[in-house]
Amino acid sequence: MSDAGSAPAAAEGRRRVAVALAGNPNTGKTTVFNLLTGLRAKVGNYPGVTVERKEGRLRGASGRTEVTVLDLPGAYSLSPRSQDERITRDALLGRLAGVPSPGVVVVVLDASNLQRHLYFATQVIELGYPTVVALNMMDVAEAHGHRIDAGQLARELGVEVVPLVASAGRGILRLRSSILRQVDRPTVGSWRPVLMDLPAPFREETERLAGAIGLSGAGARGQREIHAFCLLMEGSEIESADPGRERGAGDALGEARRRIEARGLDWRALPVESRYRRIGGICERSVTETIPPRETLSDRIDRWLTHRYWGIALLAIVLGIMFQAIFVFAHWPMELLDGWVGAAGNWLAQRMPAGDLRSLLVDGVVAGVGAVVVFLPQICLLFLFIGLLEETGYMARAAFIMDRWMMKLGLHGRSFIPLLGSFACAIPGIMATRTIESWREKLAVILVAPLMSCSARLPVYTLLIAACLPERRWLGAVRLSGLALLGMYGLGVGSAMFMAWLFRRTILRGDPPLLVMELPPYKRPALGMVLRHVGERAGMFLRQAGTLILAFNMVLWFLATYPRSEERAAHYGAAREQLQRERAGRDAHGLDAPGWAERWAALEREEAAERLERSFAGRLGRCLEPAIAPLGMDWKIGIGIVSSFAARELFVSTMSTVYRVGAAEGSEPVRLAEHFRRQTREDGSPVYTARRGLTLMVFYVFALQCASTVAVVRRETHSWRWPLFQWAYMGALAWGFAWITWHGTRWLGMS
Amino acid sequence: MRQKGWKAGEAPAGCKQPAACPLSQVQAGTSVRIKRLTLPPDVLRRLREIGFCEERKIRLLMRQNSVICEVCNTRFGLNRKLAEAILVEPLPVPVRDQAA
Repeated sequence: MSDAGSAPAAAEGRRRVAVALAGNPNTGKTTVFNLLTGLRAKVGNYPGVTVERKEGRLRGASGRTEVTVLDLPGAYSLSPRSQDERITRDALLGRLAGVPSPGVVVVVLDASNLQRHLYFATQVIELGYPTVVALNMMDVAEAHGHRIDAGQLARELGVEVVPLVASAGRGILRLRSSILRQVDRPTVGSWRPVLMDLPAPFREETERLAGAIGLSGAGARGQREIHAFCLLMEGSEIESADPGRERGAGDALGEARRRIEARGLDWRALPVESRYRRIGGICERSVTETIPPRETLSDRIDRWLTHRYWGIALLAIVLGIMFQAIFVFAHWPMELLDGWVGAAGNWLAQRMPAGDLRSLLVDGVVAGVGAVVVFLPQICLLFLFIGLLEETGYMARAAFIMDRWMMKLGLHGRSFIPLLGSFACAIPGIMATRTIESWREKLAVILVAPLMSCSARLPVYTLLIAACLPERRWLGAVRLSGLALLGMYGLGVGSAMFMAWLFRRTILRGDPPLLVMELPPYKRPALGMVLRHVGERAGMFLRQAGTLILAFNMVLWFLATYPRSEERAAHYGAAREQLQRERAGRDAHGLDAPGWAERWAALEREEAAERLERSFAGRLGRCLEPAIAPLGMDWKIGIGIVSSFAARELFVSTMSTVYRVGAAEGSEPVRLAEHFRRQTREDGSPVYTARRGLTLMVFYVFALQCASTVAVVRRETHSWRWPLFQWAYMGALAWGFAWITWHGTRWLGMS
Repeated sequence: MRQKGWKAGEAPAGCKQPAACPLSQVQAGTSVRIKRLTLPPDVLRRLREIGFCEERKIRLLMRQNSVICEVCNTRFGLNRKLAEAILVEPLPVPVRDQAA
């Protein structure tokens, strides 16, 4: 059994060993993982679900053995209550498809919470793998007056115990060599399963159950029994939703429980109590309390941050600063990037002969992708802020404060985190719903999460605000642009709240949720980890810009450029020649040509507009025009909207492609917002008025224009029903609210 | 408005049985012992697993609409509904040792 996870790697004769890293949430497990694997972690997903799967190679392993470390999601016990915990349990039991059964298990514990964390740790040790206990946060435990005798603990548990301060990197070498020792010479702990402490009927029923269910997977009898035992004491609700459950198990479980109850024993409480009793004994023998418990700094901070009124006020301030900062601080790097993109376009334009290829590269590729890449600073800042809030421990408080209000919507405070995360991107937001235990509540959060304005809308808002709204300032610092942005975010939040409330009262009715939430002590954020996370996200964004958006832009360029009419080209060529002759004639006589430049420009505009109108994209936009005309939008915007249904940020690049391709060749690249401002309708009035800008922004607040989100919702809900419903309801809201905005603003006197 | 509550060792104002008072009515700063949990089975199991077992001593740190309490050195936030379902008994003197 000890070599369950080590299989000889076929060709090179190298041994592969999987090390599973498990532990409660908030133990610094990810820090330990980063220290063990360095910068070579691979992030992916478990098959069929969106739970993040992180693995990396152990640094310092000998050449003949390849040791992979798998970072499992945090869990409180082996009886799962959420998808995260189920993944952890199944991985530890070696029942997860595509994940090797672990050869060594490392359980990370928070030393300052030894008693509670030993609950899960002893469960894992009982599984019988070669196990190492990583006793993290030793410094915190010391500061709180818990002196832990690691040697004594190791004797009690029968496994190696390595004290750690992962945040400072202390003890990691010892942990690594301890893991490698287990890889080479596995020893199985002498920990006696807690089952031995329980009355006889428990043991009998567990044995019978292990046989009856015929649990698949790893053959060890001990593991089968532990698994059966965990199933036995699980609650009832989760069972029907457990896809890994074998047929007929439910009946066998029910009977086993009934038989235990018939003997006057409580199968729910006894196993937990019994385990805690043993843990209590272990702690008594291995922990010395040096100082009586006192109020910590965390407690004092909490008194303010979770205060009924101050807490809310502070949360509002934190979020306010966050959004203002994203708009203000990102300005400078964005200008810089914008300049580079323009310069790259110019450089390319000067070095290539005029023609379709140059147009494709300059207008399609550089301008299109560049228009999206420019928003990288804002996206990085948003992820930085969210990462900092998570790392400091404030995010849990925010959820706690919000619980009272979320309750009114039929959600509990924990749903606040996925919703807040959706400001960065709905995809990680929807993925974060995996910690929500109730299926109906989870679904309600998934359905409304994309209403939170994600970072992909930010480019659209920014562009439209710059193009459509006048620059005003009040009191020196409050800017109209910031206010408009805040308004759009507010609209998204408000409607998300309303829709959640509506769903929880109609199609997704359920009991008001109960919240129990761990509030980890505040700590100084490990900046390196936050930055690394930001880097990962920025990389994902750039990869998308380099692949999906690039491909889309090339297609769009094609659609906006072809078909070309030779006849019309000849017509405009002739008109241009005539104008030039006229000018030459006047020049020859030393006369001025009043209005000549304007006529030339008008001709160019006319040609560009006609070319776009006749192109495939123009026709597509025209098809859409009847649907969006009541919203005051024309077919050019229609092209932008059509393309946004693949991903919202494509609006920006599409419009840049649309207008640049339409603009006369050889004209100077101008900044996009200015270009927008110059667009006119047929009657000469500007297209991008404040009123149209607002309408378009409101449309973008609501519409579910993101193919990736639809795909993730499909994966999370296991059917097309919910993503399609979501797409339709958000589309209807988008159209309705845009209509109200367009007509409402006219009623308010805007032109 | 003054908070309704009770000090350690005193009979709670709002509780009929002093030995089983909902956690939601306990004064902040009090140490109590959990007596009974009136909850659906699966929530109950999880609560016990994270340390809210019967006979466990816990300390209430803050009580507003929701409560924050300390169980084996960890702070947990519980919402009002949950706090109402946890019946506790006051401990006469503040508990010094949470690890007991």
